[in-house]
Amino acid sequence: MHDKQFKKEMLAESAQAFRAGRMDRRTFLALCGASGVAMNAVLAGDAEAAADHVVMWNWGGQSEECHGSAIGEAFTAKTGKGLKFDTSGPLEGKIKEMVDSGNVTADVADADLFNAVSLGPTGHLEPIDYSVVSKDKTLPGYALEYGVSIILYGYAFVYDTEAYGDNPPQNWADFFDTEKFPGTRALYKWANGSLEAALMADGVAGSDLYPLDMDRALNKIQSIKDDSLYWGSGSEVHSMVVNNEVSMAIIWQNRGRNIENDTDGQYKLVNNQAMAMPGAYIVPKGNPAGAAVMDFIATAQDIPAQLALLDCLGMTPSNPEAFDQIPEDQQPYAITSAMNIDKIVYNDPEWWGNNGGDAVNAFLEAIS
Amino acid sequence: MQALNRHIHPGWLIIAPLLLMVVALYLGPILNILWLSVTDPEPGFGNYAKLTEGDALIRIVWTTVRICIITTVFSVIFGYSIAYAMVHCHQRQKTYMLTLLLVSFWISILVRTFAWLMLLGRKGLVNVTLEDIGLVAEPIAFMRNELGVLIGMVHYMIPYAVLPLLVSMQSIDQRVMDASRNLGASGSQTFWRVYLPMTMPGLVASTLLVFILSLGFYVTPAVLGGGKVLMVAEYISVQLLVTLKWGTAAMLAAIMLFGVLAMLWIMSRFMKLSTVFGGAAR
Repeated sequence: MHDKQFKKEMLAESAQAFRAGRMDRRTFLALCGASGVAMNAVLAGDAEAAADHVVMWNWGGQSEECHGSAIGEAFTAKTGKGLKFDTSGPLEGKIKEMVDSGNVTADVADADLFNAVSLGPTGHLEPIDYSVVSKDKTLPGYALEYGVSIILYGYAFVYDTEAYGDNPPQNWADFFDTEKFPGTRALYKWANGSLEAALMADGVAGSDLYPLDMDRALNKIQSIKDDSLYWGSGSEVHSMVVNNEVSMAIIWQNRGRNIENDTDGQYKLVNNQAMAMPGAYIVPKGNPAGAAVMDFIATAQDIPAQLALLDCLGMTPSNPEAFDQIPEDQQPYAITSAMNIDKIVYNDPEWWGNNGGDAVNAFLEAIS
Repeated sequence: MQALNRHIHPGWLIIAPLLLMVVALYLGPILNILWLSVTDPEPGFGNYAKLTEGDALIRIVWTTVRICIITTVFSVIFGYSIAYAMVHCHQRQKTYMLTLLLVSFWISILVRTFAWLMLLGRKGLVNVTLEDIGLVAEPIAFMRNELGVLIGMVHYMIPYAVLPLLVSMQSIDQRVMDASRNLGASGSQTFWRVYLPMTMPGLVASTLLVFILSLGFYVTPAVLGGGKVLMVAEYISVQLLVTLKWGTAAMLAAIMLFGVLAMLWIMSRFMKLSTVFGGAAR
């Protein structure tokens, strides 16, 4: 009798420890096994433990703090569930590996919408439940079966005002014109945005970009190869610009403000022909929190969360209702603000999801 | 049991757990990669055929091999000089030098890579100084190109080149050199015809170590190459994480593995490799 009581208490203790993350799953299961608790009881407890929080898989750094304050707090207030983070960066290969291994530990990944196109049909993602998540709270075409765009980021460029002060570059054609605007350029290494910019520079209209004419784009890219560097991360291009290594650089448009500040205005952001990229939330197949994650995604679509993400991370809302609430000082740096929305073009996640792998390889081969 | 003992030495039982671990944790994954290279995305040698389809993959492999050879040559030459100095200076200085050498192992490769940008970048210390004293009009492009990659890699690899050479030089009997001078050989003759051949095992060991480690370089080429120097390791990582062409990645990994094994085999034709790894020259 005493034994039974002891076992019960021990298991209750360890279940709490497991829930709070102080004990790993293996130890917990071993204890359950040792005290002869049936497997189904353990699994029920396991599911329950997982259901009181949602794990967001993002890139860490500032986004951990911002996702917590912008979405996590409202989500907890609404549902009573917490928000935890995995900050290892949800690259496509890592999502595939996690789902294939059968050990899915994340509920929602802060990824690109084209990931939903490439990973969804192969069975690596849960479909978005549009009875909970709203199709109207994102741009048309950006609510897909396996992913929904929550924020927009963009590819724009900055230029050195000391180099081109009197006659500044105004569009991608100028960016690719090394005769009129001599100096080194920095482009994004993984092709995205760089290909579209090259095509627009070559005279393709922003609305006729897709399907991308790869040969034409790569020819244009190669025409400035000797005058260009390629960056792989936001901090890398930031340091290239701040250290004056380049005269023009394609950047993630949400970094524009930081670059202008860090260079005391020497570099200036150009949003003309900037490309809006749908950043999306996608759900790995068999996620531990199950359907609860849809509430989280819906919370992120709400206007307060959308504006808070803009304020904290510089990510532009994708919910059209939030567009006219973008504050005055964010107008130049938000890609869908009234100031910019008529100048921009939109990325096609379908094309990138289906052709992205080959496009990245062709691009890498062209620049190396 | 006795019958068993007659055929299998009992010593095998002691090392069996270790052997099993090596097979499970090391050979298993390697076989898995080889398997992946002929099964993903479809069974057959399609991934290997890609090598012949265009010049892109061959170019990436060639860039890697070229950079690794140059890195190895410079690292081993510098490493040889450093090891030589360490063996022949006073004990006190030797301790200082050894400490400095070991300290460099503790500094992260990222920090060492970015330090070169601070020093030799367009607005780095060296270029700014040269421009200020009027020696150059335009900054010299040390970084963000192949030269930058080589500088970063050689710098990282020198300590690895020194250690095997140091061990080999320390074990040489100094009296042999005295005998050589005594028999009328000049200083340089003694070096080229006595000292250098005696340090050959160390030289080969450090060459192999540096070359093989260089093949896997990823961070340094990515940062210092300005995106235009694409080496195999970075390409493999892109295929795994971004483009999901795991078959291509596995194929390239297999090519690298067999390349290194082939290199070892060719070398074993010319010399006793066991001496390189510390065994006796039988």
